Amino acid sequence: MKKNKDDLFKFVEYSPEAAERTGYSDYSYWGSVFQNFFKKKSAVVMSAIFFAIVIFSFIALHIGKFDFATLKTNQDNAFMTPNATYWFGTDNLGRDYWCQVWYAAQISIKLALIVALGECVLGVTIGCLWGYVRQLDRILTELYNVINNVPMIIYMTLISLLVGQSFTIMAISMIAFGWLTMARNVRNLVMMYRDREYNLASRCLGTPVWRVLLKNILPYLISIIILRLALSIPATIALESTLSYLSLGLGIDTPSLGILLRNARNNFLDHPHLLIFPAVIVSLITITFYLVGNAFSDAADPRNHV
Amino acid sequence: MKKKSRVLALVLAAVVALTACGGQGGKGGDKSGELKDLYTFEVAQREMENVFILNTEMANDLNVLCNTQEGLLETDPKGQLAPAVAEKWETTDGGLTWTFNLRKGVKWVDVKGNEKADCTAQDWLTGLEWVMNSWKNEAKNTSMPTALIKGAGDYYNYTKDLKKEEAMALNADKGSKFQEMVGIEAPDDYTLVYHCTDNAPYFATVATSACLYPLSQALIDELGGTDKVRSANNEKLWYNGPYTLTSYIQGNEKILTKNKSYWDKDAKLFNTVTIKITEDTMAAYKLYETGELDHADLDESTVRKIADDKDNEFHDQLVEKLPRKYSYQMHWNYDKRNEDGSSDKNWNTAVANEAFRQSIYWGLDLTKYWSRTNYVNPLHCENVAYTMKGLLYTSDGTEYTKLVTDKIGLPESDGKSPRRYDKEKALAYKKQAMEELKAKGVTFPIEIDYYIIGGSQVAQDGATVLAETFAETLGDDYVKLKVDTYVSSNTKEVIEPRLQSFTINGWGADYGDPQNYLGQETYGEDGAYYSNNYSNINDAKDKELIATYKEFTKMVNKANKITDDMDKRYDAYAEAEAFMLNHALTVPANLEVALQLTHVNDYTKTNAMYGICNYKYKNWTTSAEAYTAEQYEKFAEEANK
Amino acid sequence: MFKYTIKRLLQSLVTVLVVATIVFLLMRMLPTDYYFSEDQLMKLTEAQKQEQLAAAGLLDPIPEQLVRFYGQILRFDFGESRRIQSGVAVIEVIGSKFTISMKNGCIALVISLIVGVLLGILQTRHKDRLLDHIGTGYTIFVNAVPSLVSYSLVLVFGSKVLGLPSIYSSRRPEVSSILPIVCLALASIASYALWTRRYMVDELNKDYIKLARIKGMSSKTIMVKHVFKNAFVPLAQYIPASFLYTIGGSLLVERFFSVPGMGPLLTDSIIRYDVNVVQTLAIIYAALGIIGVFLGDILMMLLDPRIKLTGRGGTR
Repeated sequence: MKKNKDDLFKFVEYSPEAAERTGYSDYSYWGSVFQNFFKKKSAVVMSAIFFAIVIFSFIALHIGKFDFATLKTNQDNAFMTPNATYWFGTDNLGRDYWCQVWYAAQISIKLALIVALGECVLGVTIGCLWGYVRQLDRILTELYNVINNVPMIIYMTLISLLVGQSFTIMAISMIAFGWLTMARNVRNLVMMYRDREYNLASRCLGTPVWRVLLKNILPYLISIIILRLALSIPATIALESTLSYLSLGLGIDTPSLGILLRNARNNFLDHPHLLIFPAVIVSLITITFYLVGNAFSDAADPRNHV
Repeated sequence: MKKKSRVLALVLAAVVALTACGGQGGKGGDKSGELKDLYTFEVAQREMENVFILNTEMANDLNVLCNTQEGLLETDPKGQLAPAVAEKWETTDGGLTWTFNLRKGVKWVDVKGNEKADCTAQDWLTGLEWVMNSWKNEAKNTSMPTALIKGAGDYYNYTKDLKKEEAMALNADKGSKFQEMVGIEAPDDYTLVYHCTDNAPYFATVATSACLYPLSQALIDELGGTDKVRSANNEKLWYNGPYTLTSYIQGNEKILTKNKSYWDKDAKLFNTVTIKITEDTMAAYKLYETGELDHADLDESTVRKIADDKDNEFHDQLVEKLPRKYSYQMHWNYDKRNEDGSSDKNWNTAVANEAFRQSIYWGLDLTKYWSRTNYVNPLHCENVAYTMKGLLYTSDGTEYTKLVTDKIGLPESDGKSPRRYDKEKALAYKKQAMEELKAKGVTFPIEIDYYIIGGSQVAQDGATVLAETFAETLGDDYVKLKVDTYVSSNTKEVIEPRLQSFTINGWGADYGDPQNYLGQETYGEDGAYYSNNYSNINDAKDKELIATYKEFTKMVNKANKITDDMDKRYDAYAEAEAFMLNHALTVPANLEVALQLTHVNDYTKTNAMYGICNYKYKNWTTSAEAYTAEQYEKFAEEANK
Repeated sequence: MFKYTIKRLLQSLVTVLVVATIVFLLMRMLPTDYYFSEDQLMKLTEAQKQEQLAAAGLLDPIPEQLVRFYGQILRFDFGESRRIQSGVAVIEVIGSKFTISMKNGCIALVISLIVGVLLGILQTRHKDRLLDHIGTGYTIFVNAVPSLVSYSLVLVFGSKVLGLPSIYSSRRPEVSSILPIVCLALASIASYALWTRRYMVDELNKDYIKLARIKGMSSKTIMVKHVFKNAFVPLAQYIPASFLYTIGGSLLVERFFSVPGMGPLLTDSIIRYDVNVVQTLAIIYAALGIIGVFLGDILMMLLDPRIKLTGRGGTR
């Protein structure tokens, strides 16, 4: 018995690599997010379609037979249905609709993405501060109430009267009023997680605030942020078309899908193609972000990663 | 699934039941004969703002209020003056003193049609006092009385210096300050005398304007004092016109109901007139389709649809409106500014050059632009004069603008191409302008800023077509039309900061005289509306341009001095107008001759080039069946006899 | 609880006042020319404009105007309309519009609540089956198609196929309100269905439901007595808010059908620069919004005794 003892147990030489290996799991947060996300077939398909639309909108402008900048009216060609020359038909002035739709799609998508991103950055930053720093709570809550309760139309009208109408102005003002919802959501969550035990422990150990926010709390928020982000994109497009309808929208030389829809709404019974093409693109974008947003936010929730 | 369909069925049933309950509440009536009730519309932007006639100068309001209030005179379908409350009117001293004999038995009624008081000459004094009292009417409607009635302007200034309470307590009774100062008197209840500042041979036409409408002191007393009048709504006011305003739902509809006590018992009136507010003309067309309106204006795409499709149910019913009373001009801006307020040298130098203006004057083939309004006969929209066609006739019946076009030497219309457009002339002028302007350091292409309202597809399409029209003959190397938008107010956002290169604006006459048109363009005069507001000629620097304008102003003032012989007067004005157009000081752009579908014979409507009565729903001939183009041609023939 | 209510109400009052002040100041940022109509601007001399402005008290220093404005609010005097219905008291201008918007809004709310919640329940009961997919499809459709387009579809279908009036008429308000109400309800049905389903599905997965099932309770009783009751609590929170919101009228729907409600009034009064109307509307909207949230909290508390609203404001 005694003899065998040495054979059964022996000292292993210390190796740093092996020591590391014990605590190692091949879990990676973003890796799991994408792994989970790709399990949702419908969302994957839809996001593929969306990217296809974005890429195609660039290609489309090049392969089209007409250039948006040099479109000429021709009254004899008005309201043509789609054909070999005019792939999406023509509008009421006989201009090619194909390049108008794709150009407008680019603008609308660009606006929506910029606004969503801006809202996200501003909303998350302010939301974190709002939720974490107690002293700021009252001030920011009041600010929220005030901005949120004055009808946006008032702001938009004043901005367009005093500042002007352009893509940049539109984007900035939409961000300026759009961050509220995001900030509110983030704030509520931050408040929930702020005083959890692990955060108390972190604070006791002297972790700086930004690190607590960034490393301890933010991961919990990602799913909700993504959901809001995704929903804000269709909301931006819808808001833009409403504002265009009220003549508070983009400037005159920047057509958007909203403007095309507004123009088409009067004679879509006689000329359905004017409505269908932009409406389909808007709907596709909306559905994409709706589905993708839901799928991605599920995937981003660390509780679903087990 | 089953449950859902049951819910759906329930909803549908409810809908059907409600529809049934509502019944045929809309317009009904038999299919033959004339309409007993009229259903008309106005677009939302032109909704009425004011129910008190003395307090408004806006067509939006006056188009309704001319039906509820009656003035001294009205206008007939031929555009001539016709008696209203005044039976007779005359001047014996060349337009210095005007006497109106009022008819007896004109009544003021309340909104329900109950008679309240007699309408007498004193009411015109009360009305004018109200208008000229700066505290009561806040300077609205004062411009014409100030210019034409003796002492009116002084009275305005007098009240201005008073305290509010003092001014509000004033009235037009015997012995009042008003009677003492202002040249208006009522020798008896049914005679009214005006004293003019100067010989005004056209003063009678002013009597159709809102500024000379009556107001009853008894109404003021009933409302509870002067300060309660402005807040009185349609249910509290008194009426003496053919209708009373029985319902006024802002943003939705107004109902005018026949006034049984109206003085003109022979007049043909509707029982009710309903004016619906629609979002745009397209919405109105949809209502016409479902039979909820009796006429509809048509936008270009609808006209195209109806005109190009022989099987369309409205194909035969596409008829042309009579021209509205506005003569549209391109008004240059001789002192254009940039957004930062600095002077736009490039444009100002260019537009001061006559060859440049001439090249645009001759070089625009506006046919496509007109076809936005009138797809079928674009040339009917052509405007070649400054004064509105049909405003005036000489003693031998020659139309005034014909004098003008004869003097300019424009060819007669061949029915195919515009009368003014002349490509060769335009290109010659272009060459000349380019040489002259390059010497002055102007860079090409010259940018032309043109402003339209934002959010309107119709405006944007028109501007797009206009921009291409510029490029077509004149070329991209020469001029480039840049379209910009304003949000709500052209005046505030564009005209006041002087951002535009030109505006296209229409002028409708206030009274029947060329002075009312040409007087707006003179150099260095306070009353010249376009010079002071749009062309900014008084701030122009170019000597040659100013000399041209001074010459023109001299001609206009010379014509204005002729008050004894109307033919001579008109000829002198025509001379001045031809001079103005020959130097392209403005460019006539278009007339509004739109297409419509209608149950109303427009040739029986009041059609005056001045005054407020064009929307007076009196003596209109209507038909339960829509009129056809054929019928309308007959009407036109009869009217032109 | 009483103390809490009072505190919340006072807080809300302050917020409303702040909003009113901000709108008041915003409206005064525009040049005074905006007080006049196009016609007036051209025809009036500078002196006349100044007189009119002075008469309306618009040339006084801003603080003075502000104090006067507060005084007016306290007396519930909102002044006169300048350009919407010239000379008429703002209260009178808004009053009639308020009733119309409220009537339509209430009907739309009731319809969408009933239909939406019912649809949500059905979807839950038939989860992952045809009906559920149809419901989801509807939700996605309503959200995906821009409202301008879906309203156009309703308008055309309603007027061409069903023969309903496409424009509001005060002579037969019942029939002519159908299409606007349908449009109003369209979106909220979808959102009620969506949230009902979401909350009910969440609830279904909870342990006590499983226990109830094991105990042998019928699934109908479970649905009605437990699942729906619990799922309705978070839903209820938003009902007062959306109720009050509908009173405010929908800008788009009301413009579309020419309904003389509160919605178009806001843009009209801003564009016509009718300051008193804009200010009053802003106060009304702010008050509705704030009261809505507050009532939502109260309602939720009443429905679910576990929720306490003491201490920090609201659970929203």
